Amino acid sequence: MRHVIFRLDKERYALPLSAIREVVVPPGQFTRVPRSPPSVRGVINLRGRVVTVVELRSLLGLPEPSPASQKIVLLDRGRRDLGLLVTEVDGIESIEKVAPAPGKPAASVRGVARLKGLAVTVLDPDGVDGAVAACFAR
Amino acid sequence: MPVDMSKYLSLFVTEATEHLESLGRDLVELEKTGGTASIDSMFRHAHSVKGMAASMGFEVAATLAHRVEDLVDAVRSDASLLDRELVDLLLSTTDTLLSQVRAAAEGQPPEDSGPIERQLSERLARITGRSPSPTKVAQATARPSAPPVPPAAPKAPAPAEKENPQERDAGLGLPPRFGLKVRIAQSCAVPGVRAFLVHKRLSGLGNVFDLKPALEDLKAGRIPDGLVSLELETSAGEAGVRGALGNISEVEVLSLKPVVFTAPSPPAPMPSPESAKVVGHEAARTVRVRTELLDYFLDTAGELLLATARIREVGKALPARSQPSLDEAVDRLHGLVKDLHDKVMKARMTPLSVITDRLPRAARDIARRRERDVDLVVTGADIELDRAILDDLADPLLHLLRNCIDHGIESPEERAAQKKGARGRVLVSVRRARDRVVVEIEDDGRGMDPEKLKAAALARGLITAEVAGRLSDAEAYTLCCLPGVSTARDVSEISGRGVGMDAVKRAVESVGGTLEIESERGRGTRFILKLPLTVAVVNLLLVAVGEEIFGLPIAKVIGAVEAEAGTLSRSREAALLPYAGSLLPVHPMADLLGIPDLPRVGPRPFVVMEAESGRVALAVDRLLGQEEVVLKALSRPLDLVPGLSGVTILGTGRPVFILDVPRLLAA
Repeated sequence: MRHVIFRLDKERYALPLSAIREVVVPPGQFTRVPRSPPSVRGVINLRGRVVTVVELRSLLGLPEPSPASQKIVLLDRGRRDLGLLVTEVDGIESIEKVAPAPGKPAASVRGVARLKGLAVTVLDPDGVDGAVAACFAR
Repeated sequence: MPVDMSKYLSLFVTEATEHLESLGRDLVELEKTGGTASIDSMFRHAHSVKGMAASMGFEVAATLAHRVEDLVDAVRSDASLLDRELVDLLLSTTDTLLSQVRAAAEGQPPEDSGPIERQLSERLARITGRSPSPTKVAQATARPSAPPVPPAAPKAPAPAEKENPQERDAGLGLPPRFGLKVRIAQSCAVPGVRAFLVHKRLSGLGNVFDLKPALEDLKAGRIPDGLVSLELETSAGEAGVRGALGNISEVEVLSLKPVVFTAPSPPAPMPSPESAKVVGHEAARTVRVRTELLDYFLDTAGELLLATARIREVGKALPARSQPSLDEAVDRLHGLVKDLHDKVMKARMTPLSVITDRLPRAARDIARRRERDVDLVVTGADIELDRAILDDLADPLLHLLRNCIDHGIESPEERAAQKKGARGRVLVSVRRARDRVVVEIEDDGRGMDPEKLKAAALARGLITAEVAGRLSDAEAYTLCCLPGVSTARDVSEISGRGVGMDAVKRAVESVGGTLEIESERGRGTRFILKLPLTVAVVNLLLVAVGEEIFGLPIAKVIGAVEAEAGTLSRSREAALLPYAGSLLPVHPMADLLGIPDLPRVGPRPFVVMEAESGRVALAVDRLLGQEEVVLKALSRPLDLVPGLSGVTILGTGRPVFILDVPRLLAA
């Protein structure tokens, strides 16, 4: 299956291409969402739609959200306007074999794959979606 | 045309449209219930349209309306005449008339109504055994020698020779009118001559209207059953009329009675609020107001609220001894303006019946085309919504109805096999649920198949197989709102092309509402629209808190004051703001919203708002002014944040959240 490969700092991650609508450059300013969990960066106006942007690092429980985040990966979840803030998008690659990820299992993570000799963490779009809703509901 | 008719055109268009729409509703209602009450009302509507069209010189429309009037009249005396085909015919005539009215509004020539007119005439001939009479307009204009009829009521600027029965009454100095029926004996060898003589004698007495059969037919002796009917306007009196006909042999006067015009004093109470509005002198209590004007009122009332708040603030600089009297005056002003604002909001509220009234007719048409038997039940249509929302709702509602009948309701045979009643049922119910209006459209048809929806979405590449496998049934139903997804086996003219449901969803969401779908296989489908009671356009007071901007609904704002934070009195650490004679609890907005507060010195503004427990003062950093914005519904996950009621995009492109202060305080 074809995946979009992107980076959080140096670590590589992947999401199925079919789950992604587009990649955009963040605007200069985010509108802060009051009382939102820390991983929520804010909302942006994307061609008249209000899209919630989440720091993927923070959502995945990685330390210190990266200040160098510079791309927003928009999930295409039909009825959800959700974007993930990542460091950089590398391109599209085919990933077939996904092995269980090390560490404690998380709904957002499907597993790891080997791509050109390097590890890629394959994410589960529904799991990511669920994680966002969960951090809001808290 | 001697009189400039253009200024009456828009009035004609509005009123004729309303009459025709009511006529259509009555027809559907009549077919359903078989009651007689709507026949009279139908007759009145047809009659009014005829009169209006005639007075405006729209002869084609007047003729059609006249035929409808005749047919309705026939049904009035024998209700069994009203079968499906007749209802179809009358409804399509109504549609033709509506399009002619529209054409008139745009100054276009009317579309060809020849075929439908012929159908009407044939039908009329079959029912009454007579060929239909020419219409009054055509006949009236063909009489160049007719004495001028003075223009009657102000809204009937009838050119002299046009006949306009609706506006006529005894009080206007016109000679009384008689309805006359005569029979020429079957044995008569020269019926044409006798009939012509009758016409000639009567023409000598006054003006002849509504001659049946037409004069040409009379002269040629084409008189079915020897029956001639006409109306005569004359001051000769009943005796004079009888006298004039007395010495014509082989002619028998069957009836002669004064014609009573129903329009000025209808025999039955007006059946719908619309018709009450139409006749100005009857219901002078309602007027038409253009929506833009109402929008303007709302804007201005909102501005007034802010201006009042401003005066209060400026007044703070006045010497202490003039404060009480100023406060009193401002309080009074504020009360008045608030009241005005509420009333303007109320004036924009319109009952849902404005759009649901069209549904029975639509349901009938769709059901007929699809050969379904459907009962449509509408409840709660008197519930009111803001006009702006209603306008955007008409098409989506119609589309959902189509969906129910087209895809939901099975054919009568299929229903019988399912042990369901042969007639399908579509229920449109409207109810209030707190600050929302819930509109539900449900059918008792076959329900939706989540697997089919998934397969359709999959086939179009809108979802992946993996996603499809994970979707719950409830999630699968919403797939039908994706562009291009439809499970309809055959693509009908009406729906099933997969356009539409996405448009419905978009329309509902654009007014700040939500669309939910419930379905059970074999039991039916329910579309649930949750709509904001008031407009998607809201007036906001924009305030700055830290670096952020938030919107507060003006309707909930009581006032704004500036005060030095350090000077506020305190109780158990909580600050209290003196306002209008009481002490209000102060809530720093930055704390409420979880936003870093900017260090500040000097006075800061406080917005006073109504909350659940009474008034509160919200400490903000700056008042930015008022703006009217279009409210957007909160999409996931924003709807999980307590205290937000919506979001909007300002003119600058910046998204701004609209706060629900009571919930913000409660959370």
